[in-house]
Amino acid sequence: QEEAQAIDQELFTEYKFSVDQLMELAGLSCATAIAKAYPPSSFTTSQPAVLVVCGPGNNGGDGLVCARHLKMFGYQPTVYYPKRSSKPLFEGLTTQCNKMDIPFLPEFPAEAEFIDELYGLVVDAIFGFSFTGAVREPFGSILSTLERVTVPIASIDIPSGWDVEKGKADGLQPDMLISLTAPKKAAMHFTGRYHFLGGRFVPPALQEKYSLNLPEYPGTDCVLQLT
Amino acid sequence: PVTLSLLSPQAFPLRSLRRRQPTLLVACGPAQNGAVGLVCARHLRSFDYEPTIFYPKRSPDPLHRDFTTQCEKMDIPFLSYLPTEVQLINDAYNAVVDAVLGAEGTQGTEGTEPCAAILTTLRHVRIPIVSLDVPSGWLPGPVGGSGDISPDVLVSLAAPKEVARRFRGRRHFLAGRFVPEELRRKFGLSPPEYPGSDCVVAL
Repeated sequence: QEEAQAIDQELFTEYKFSVDQLMELAGLSCATAIAKAYPPSSFTTSQPAVLVVCGPGNNGGDGLVCARHLKMFGYQPTVYYPKRSSKPLFEGLTTQCNKMDIPFLPEFPAEAEFIDELYGLVVDAIFGFSFTGAVREPFGSILSTLERVTVPIASIDIPSGWDVEKGKADGLQPDMLISLTAPKKAAMHFTGRYHFLGGRFVPPALQEKYSLNLPEYPGTDCVLQLT
Repeated sequence: PVTLSLLSPQAFPLRSLRRRQPTLLVACGPAQNGAVGLVCARHLRSFDYEPTIFYPKRSPDPLHRDFTTQCEKMDIPFLSYLPTEVQLINDAYNAVVDAVLGAEGTQGTEGTEPCAAILTTLRHVRIPIVSLDVPSGWLPGPVGGSGDISPDVLVSLAAPKEVARRFRGRRHFLAGRFVPEELRRKFGLSPPEYPGSDCVVAL
């Protein structure tokens, strides 16, 4: 976890990347990975409906970007974003979604069955690699519901609620994990079908410094399928 | 700028480049078009090309300065001058990315240095030119000027500009997938279908 935070810090302070830039690339990776694993034609719902659940921090921001790109790729995303950051970046991302006619739910579906009926996929953009400590409401209840959902869940970077290094055996078991920048230790506990790597923005010098040993991305793709 | 960079490799896949090293010269002007060039160069580098940047007049805009830092930190060399001997450029690089004036150039700023000098060079190179948005120096109108550069590839940003009608090069790409539907309708743009999750489409 510390390493991931250190790399992030360096990207911002030494390499002068802006949060906006990296978040856009991260969100785009997520949408691209989803498009590869769950193409719109594979949905059994009448429309390729996707529920994107966004947490209060950067992972949620990644989710907002992902939702926007999913819309452009022909999906019908709906966002649930209960604890909104007031930072301009997030307000901007929310507006961009609004202007793309992406609905924001006023409340979270009460039962897992409702989610199963309405959506063919759930994107878990609740907590990322900075997560520590206890899960605060409303996310505790949200995660409980998601644990009972039967449609596939795609988690951004870390399955929400998992310890960033040790995982969580009785927690969320997503079908897809999109590791950003590099897989985190928790990824070793991932048992879903699809593990993608995204966030193709780490400069070679930084990769070397932290011995990331990242595999080659295919061509100009912004995602790499690991499993 | 984020989505714009994922384009050049489509026109020139790594394996098709003539020289052993996949070298590219990215000529960046002082304004927005140049900034797009900087972002493009960085992504080209991550795609294993070897871009070199010529960015003689740097924008003071903090965002553009950060783009410059990002390139420097990716070990992308910045030329301190552009050789006037065009053959040196032909020999050293596989292609030139023209991110000099773009749409700003249509307001007739091409006469100012150092852009004028870059344009003169671009007129004489024999390697392919990839122009971003608007071939630098092209002015609006149905018929071009005799001094117009002839890019091999044009990448229109957001939507093709009026001068794109005069483009006679090999490939014309549109990088506009980020334009919201509502805005497209408002301006009467009817873009073709983007393949899969690609952010560029060949027109």
